[in-house]
Amino acid sequence: MNWFNLFPDRLNHFLLNRSEGEISSCAMVILTTRKFFAGLVMAGVLVVLAAFTERRSEQSSFPWQKAGLTEQQAAAHLLSRFTYGATPEQIEQVRRAGLENWFEDQLRGVPENEDLKRRLGSFDAIALSNAAVVQRYPRNARVVRMAIAEGAIHKDSIRTGDRAAYREMLQNYMKQNDLRPQQELFRQFISQKILRAVYSENQLQEIMTDFWFNHFNVSLTKPQCAEFIPAYERDVIRPGATGKFGDLLLATAKSPAMLYYLDNFSSSGTPKMESEFPQTAYRRKFVRNAPNAVKTKGKGRGKPKQAKPKKKAAGLNENYAREVMELHTLGVDGGYTQKDVTEAAKVLTGWTVSPLGQYQNVKGRPVPALRTGAAMRPGASFRDGDFLFAANRHEGGVKTVLGKKFGPNAGYDEGVELLEMLARHPSTAKFISTKLAIRFVSDQPEKSLIDKMSRAFAKSGGDIRTVLRTMVSAPEFWSAAVLREKTKSPFELAIGAVRSLHADVQQPYQLFSWITRMGERKYYYQAPTGFPDQAQYWINTGALLNRMNFGLALAAGKIPGIQIDLRKLNGNREPESVSNALALYAARILPERELTPIIKKLEPMLSQPDLLNKVEEASAKAASREAQGTMGTAMPINKVSSGKHRMAAKAQSTDMLAQVVGVIIGSPEYQKR
Amino acid sequence: MLSRRGFLKAGGLSLVGVGLMGGMPSFLADAIAGEKIWLPYKKRKTLVCIFQRGAMDGLMAVTPFADAYLQKARPALFMGAAKSEGSNALFDLDGRFGLHPAMQGFAPLFREHRLAIVHGIGSPNTTRSHFDAQDYMESGTPFKKGTASGWLNRAIGEAGHEAITPFSAVSLTSALPRSLYGSHPAVAVSDIQDFGIRLRGNQQAANKSSKNFEDLYEQTASGLLQHTGRESFEAVKMLQKNDTRNYKPANGAVYPNTVLGRALKQIAQLIKMDVGLEVAFTESNGWDTHFNQGTANGVFARNVADLSNSIVAFWNDLSAYQDDVTVMTMTEFGRTVHQNGTNGTDHGRASCNFILGNDVNGGKIHGNVPELAKENLEDGRDLPVTTDFRAVFSEVAARHLALKKTDKLFPDWTGKQIGVMNV
Repeated sequence: MNWFNLFPDRLNHFLLNRSEGEISSCAMVILTTRKFFAGLVMAGVLVVLAAFTERRSEQSSFPWQKAGLTEQQAAAHLLSRFTYGATPEQIEQVRRAGLENWFEDQLRGVPENEDLKRRLGSFDAIALSNAAVVQRYPRNARVVRMAIAEGAIHKDSIRTGDRAAYREMLQNYMKQNDLRPQQELFRQFISQKILRAVYSENQLQEIMTDFWFNHFNVSLTKPQCAEFIPAYERDVIRPGATGKFGDLLLATAKSPAMLYYLDNFSSSGTPKMESEFPQTAYRRKFVRNAPNAVKTKGKGRGKPKQAKPKKKAAGLNENYAREVMELHTLGVDGGYTQKDVTEAAKVLTGWTVSPLGQYQNVKGRPVPALRTGAAMRPGASFRDGDFLFAANRHEGGVKTVLGKKFGPNAGYDEGVELLEMLARHPSTAKFISTKLAIRFVSDQPEKSLIDKMSRAFAKSGGDIRTVLRTMVSAPEFWSAAVLREKTKSPFELAIGAVRSLHADVQQPYQLFSWITRMGERKYYYQAPTGFPDQAQYWINTGALLNRMNFGLALAAGKIPGIQIDLRKLNGNREPESVSNALALYAARILPERELTPIIKKLEPMLSQPDLLNKVEEASAKAASREAQGTMGTAMPINKVSSGKHRMAAKAQSTDMLAQVVGVIIGSPEYQKR
Repeated sequence: MLSRRGFLKAGGLSLVGVGLMGGMPSFLADAIAGEKIWLPYKKRKTLVCIFQRGAMDGLMAVTPFADAYLQKARPALFMGAAKSEGSNALFDLDGRFGLHPAMQGFAPLFREHRLAIVHGIGSPNTTRSHFDAQDYMESGTPFKKGTASGWLNRAIGEAGHEAITPFSAVSLTSALPRSLYGSHPAVAVSDIQDFGIRLRGNQQAANKSSKNFEDLYEQTASGLLQHTGRESFEAVKMLQKNDTRNYKPANGAVYPNTVLGRALKQIAQLIKMDVGLEVAFTESNGWDTHFNQGTANGVFARNVADLSNSIVAFWNDLSAYQDDVTVMTMTEFGRTVHQNGTNGTDHGRASCNFILGNDVNGGKIHGNVPELAKENLEDGRDLPVTTDFRAVFSEVAARHLALKKTDKLFPDWTGKQIGVMNV
């Protein structure tokens, strides 16, 4: 088989750029060909080359020319879809590198920059394992429980004692035991998300991480799953964001965040097998770990305990089984019934969370680590990281989902097979392709595009890179109808604005408050649906006003910890006039856009003779307030400046620039991408 | 989307039409803008809807306590109404149903016949998905996903008067709920105080920018952004006329400091401002109690306490306006009759809802709850839906808002109303 050597360079390039699945499917083509045309090796080569050439041409020329775009416009469009916003310099870079090359680099991932690493360096919580998080950032209720158990506080002081004293005792207890408030974990987690979005070189990976997190949504609003969410994004979503869909699905199904969020951790059936792990230990753990575990300490105390349900009673919980079909794979019209949901729930019984943190020492035999291959007894319990398959909680017997039989005694493998079946289902290919097209193309993507993507999804075995390549290689991606058709989400707006202005983000959490006010409380969306990805959801009167307010606040330097230097942005040159400033900054902030209407409209407003007076008046007032120390964070004012006049002039022009930039960011044009 | 708002018509400029706005000289646009705040701001009847997201367990909120099947199905969740249970006892409403002990504030309203309960209410669509069930309940078309508008938005349209203000429909949420999607103006705001163009430390610059933004949205935007921009600035102007900062509830009413409590407090303010509020919407979260639901204490108890205390505070605060206000709760479905394996309940079918107002046929438990023997349950597991939510919603909206027709509210529904409102 020397034909690999015939075209070594191209094939190497080809192989380097392909995922394993594609290579093997390519090899399949060859094998099949050889089977039917034994001896005709060249035929096989031709098939490969044909496939290669087709892909190569798809890959090497995105069809933007046919859509009548210039290369700059095409680069700007591509960047508007796969980055959190681009400057004119970045657009030029991508154009020079070649759009296709940039896209392939982004799909593969590029080395991260030192600046981001340095910025993330101060966040010590985001690298912790789930077990370490549970130890170090315990939920409030658990801190109280532990403090009582260890005698650091008296249980009656919770309701009766001096509140301040109680809080201090609790704080001391936390300090002594090196415990940190859980809110700090979330603050770090959200901050890292914002910093990565602003500064990462791997913009496509960040956006795909965002997409899949929203697709497999879990929520900080649910206390049981909240502490596991940082690791969920880090270990499950981000590494799988451009891999195989099926792998991602399986990884989410096994993650503590999802197991708690959609309750599968608690779902149990009637086992048909000998119990090999003591059920009582799990019961105790789950009940103790529950958010309401201390509730009986309140009013209900002293009341005779109500009958507990029998331990052996089946605790089937359908929540995950339903959502995995409705929201993660098939879609609501994907062709399943309530019966399928119940049966799938049975298949997934026993999928739960391995005891973590202080609960590590559960009595009983240790659970063997996951062994692959024949070594593992079918249906046995095992542990894989934080995941635990508890065979004694798994429903025995045969289960039927979408006509396929699972079991009776395959245990964990039944669930894996179920998820594989769902990942491969044609409804899933269509559902995921539609969702990707809505995210990256338009709120109403063309059916022809979804069909192409669905076929690529099916053919590649759910290879996300392949689906994305297919999407970007399709004329529908570049059509005039979809340019700037998407409305930026509040997160995209805020991150994009910060990137446009080259802001130095020292306090990322400040941006989070603004993004929340604009209607997107990241990581707190309660429903498993995730945020709806469409303009109508984002644009309403209250949210729109806050978008404008955000633009003004950012440009005026009024967001603490977000530093901007508008003059530096213009090479430290002072714009000659308002209209000059308008043209310069609009071109920077809205590259490759048709700006005439905005500039035409804004120019007379900003040039009104009374405006400068008003602005001057206002900034003088602001400056005097600042001198009295009553203002929060203010614009840096040049203290060295000699004479009131120069200072006033400078403040005035800063104010003018801030107005111009603020209005541009709040403008209708900037809300689109 | 011709004439999305009423102002063009009312301003006598209907001939100009929305279609020409883009090319209209700015002096004319300004002239119209100057006319924006005009007569229709006046007192209206207000319907306040509270969506309990996550599916409230109606059988725990209002329990058929004499039902032995229920007691058996819920060994860890069942509560009785016997006096011997003390403060944990249900409030016996009629010898058959008992109100959850954490909802004691509702008891007097029920006795005064201002509060009605509909039990066994739900959707004809048997989906047990939160998303779908909420979507169907809010769109008002339980078998059609594609309905673009929400039923409350359509209710605004049926009010039958031209004078619609930006505050005709207000949602105290950060984003517009599905119920209010549609062609009639609806405002979503999480805090009415923040409503406007603000810039800390330089409000004068903000005021100037406000005008710039307004013109920019009017003249360079199109579609959704243009409409929303217009509505935003109208609403801002209206609110600026009132002092929302120093609001003091009447009658010593104390709102719980919760999302729902704060929302209802702001709705009360809007009602008292006479801004033309007709439909107010807000929501209450956390009803998806799969796990350790609790009984007299616990997560469910906290939820119903918040719900009832917020509504009672709202009602007392509005004592002078009670004839003009009706409050209705709704939830996407109920929960399983049996407790699940984790002392919670899973997604079921029917639940109950509460309607409060002076024209409500109160002091009654409407609807039909059968004995909870397995053979009486839907799919052998759930409280059956015996009253279509559309029967109740349409009656309450039509009666309170004096709608002439209700066929557009729930276009696919042909059933009968059940008399939850006084004729």
